[in-house]
Amino acid sequence: MAGSALRRLMAEYKQLTLNPPEGIIAGPINEENFFEWEALITGPEGTCFEGGVFPAKLIFPPDYPLSPPKMQFTCEMFHPNIYADGRVCISILHAPGDDPMGYESSAERWSPVQSVEKILLSVVSMLAEPNDESGANVDAAKMWRENREEFNRIAERIVRRTLGIPT
Amino acid sequence: MPVILLDRLPVPNLRMYSAGSVLALSACVYYATQVIKDPDWGAVAEDIKDSNRSNASVPLGRSMGQFVSDVFSVMIREPICVWTMINMAFCWLILVGTAIQKLVFGELRVSEQQHLKDKFWNFVFYKFIFVFGIINVQYIDEVLLWCSWFSLLGFLHLLSQLSKDRFEYLSFSPTTPLWSHVKLLFLLTAIFTLSGFMLLVSVFVGFFGGFNTFAFMSAEVVLLSIRTLHVIIRYALHLYDMRQEGASSVSANEENRVWEKRGPIAYYTELSFELTALIIDFVHHLHMLVWSNIFLSMASLVICMQLRYLFHEIQRRYKKHRNYLWVRNHLEQNYPMASSEELADNSDNCAICWEKMESARKLPCTHLFHNTCLLSWLEQDTSCPTCRLALNIQTPSTSRIDPPDLQVDAPQPQRRQLNHFFHFDGSRYVSWLPSFSVEVSHAQLMRQDNAPASNSQLDAMARQVQQLFPHIPISTIINDLRVTRSVEITIENVLDGRLVAPTMYREPEVVPATNRAMSVWQASCDTDSQRNWDEFSVETVETEDTSSLGSRFSKSSSEREKILHRRKENLIQSARKRYIEKQKAAAAAKVELQS
Ligand SMILES: [Zn+2]
Ligand SMILES: [Zn+2]
Repeated sequence: MAGSALRRLMAEYKQLTLNPPEGIIAGPINEENFFEWEALITGPEGTCFEGGVFPAKLIFPPDYPLSPPKMQFTCEMFHPNIYADGRVCISILHAPGDDPMGYESSAERWSPVQSVEKILLSVVSMLAEPNDESGANVDAAKMWRENREEFNRIAERIVRRTLGIPT
Repeated sequence: MPVILLDRLPVPNLRMYSAGSVLALSACVYYATQVIKDPDWGAVAEDIKDSNRSNASVPLGRSMGQFVSDVFSVMIREPICVWTMINMAFCWLILVGTAIQKLVFGELRVSEQQHLKDKFWNFVFYKFIFVFGIINVQYIDEVLLWCSWFSLLGFLHLLSQLSKDRFEYLSFSPTTPLWSHVKLLFLLTAIFTLSGFMLLVSVFVGFFGGFNTFAFMSAEVVLLSIRTLHVIIRYALHLYDMRQEGASSVSANEENRVWEKRGPIAYYTELSFELTALIIDFVHHLHMLVWSNIFLSMASLVICMQLRYLFHEIQRRYKKHRNYLWVRNHLEQNYPMASSEELADNSDNCAICWEKMESARKLPCTHLFHNTCLLSWLEQDTSCPTCRLALNIQTPSTSRIDPPDLQVDAPQPQRRQLNHFFHFDGSRYVSWLPSFSVEVSHAQLMRQDNAPASNSQLDAMARQVQQLFPHIPISTIINDLRVTRSVEITIENVLDGRLVAPTMYREPEVVPATNRAMSVWQASCDTDSQRNWDEFSVETVETEDTSSLGSRFSKSSSEREKILHRRKENLIQSARKRYIEKQKAAAAAKVELQS
């Protein structure tokens, strides 16, 4: 039922507008379609992504919040838990039924009490602490483990790019 | 695939086609008038029809009505004229369709077009099988009658499909103007009425043509009306929902009681409509199979595949319903409704829908939820949404039933179910039929970004737009064009601020200083510490008072969009400023260290 999903999304949008978490902005790209949002996420301080503002797209299913939305970064990203095309792979975005990696406990999975705000906050902590067990981007996971310096350099470049500062 | 091939064929545009059709028809009419002017014609006609037209030899004495009927009777006897008339009828149908599309739908979205095309070719294919494979017509006029029946039916089917797609799209937005709802509902009602009328026609024909003809004709019509009615009812429920939101403060108690009941009502209408449609379709196909008497032909193979598909759908639906009943009974027997004190103690909203709870069901972990919200969640997962306490619900089927919605929304375009290659050997049925191969697909494309669009065309259009707005990257323009499919609309989107360059691309015009700075770096340095961060002018960033933006949730959607846009802009600019200042400080510290 798109009706209840719509009301819930409206409520979430309102809450995110009135009490936005630090460094996070999210809302519908175009109010003609409330099921596609854009979010801006500020890289957490004290990490290699510090200072960057990363845009991402959120696509909600018609039966939201029973099913989780999909999230995809629209800027270049290099991170162990983000696929090359920008899709985010964290357990909170997985429905309880499916388990692509095979080791997530259902406690961390999607449930209707989760929300856009919680998703975005988990993404922030994912940026700070990659989970190199789930290898959405194997190259990035390997580099994160073995060559942290190079990883930081790439992250720095991405941060600058999102801010429009030439690298 | 044949569909793609047909895409590439040069199809004459509508204006040319209708002009040609009108021209051809008038040529035929002219020919007919010439024929009846001939004094011999009357005699011939009299001989043939043995009519009582005594003064036919005086053509000028004919009345207008007689003239028309004469012209018509000439044309009906001339094969070329008959084909021209059929063509004209098709032309009319297409024109009416286009007019309806312009009036009700406006520009079609890409996914709607794709859906429509799939549906169209599927329909043509199955009806072809039906006419030549199942009932195996032998006479050309019989073929013509079936064709005209099916074109009308197909036309309505497509319209109803389109309305359904559009309704689903409109229900994604809270700000749809009332007028679009009215137009769409009016169209749906019209389709429903027409299908009722067609049912009458099939009863009438069946009265003379026998039960089988009636069953074949009416099954499709009934399917059409059921689907249309289903959309109408879903629409009504949706509008009721939306209206309820507006009036939620007024007599909340009363409204909420209805709201609680609404869940099961919606569920059961959905279930009964879907099942009825599936069962009718199943019986219809079974009837075709039995009646055709040609069990070992290609046509019966296609029917069998369709039967199998329908059977699986019915089975799936039935299992899902059993699961629903099981969970519901389990809920009612094991978990009590929360008492009014408990409700009063719990000031929170329902954690699933975020709305106020007038009544709630209590789980063993003392978490409260709306009955309907909890039910729809437990159907797919048997744990408390809040604390993940596993509830001891054993679903009747040991294997988990996949909720269909999850599959449909997978990132890759998933074509559900069958996709088989089919070869049709027409000469087996009627000697003049061609043989062809086709891929039968029950394709269900859900998201618009999956729809293929011809890239070269998009590129050309995008370049046109970019000439006007060089600051917007071409990828953004192309993305928008995929949706709008029109240069004009995209330009309008840019002008109205609906289409903006993604913020990360917007740097060049912000500060000319950046360019200067860049050349400085390229000339002189490798490492960050030596960069001349002073070259960045942070003054261009006018950070607005964020608090004034953050604390408001406007009632008007355009204002909300504007505020959101400004907040995003702000966030990026201040992050940029912070970053540059930090780099400056770091560089200064390093210099100090060195000296
Ligand atoms: Zn609820
Ligand atoms: Zn609980």
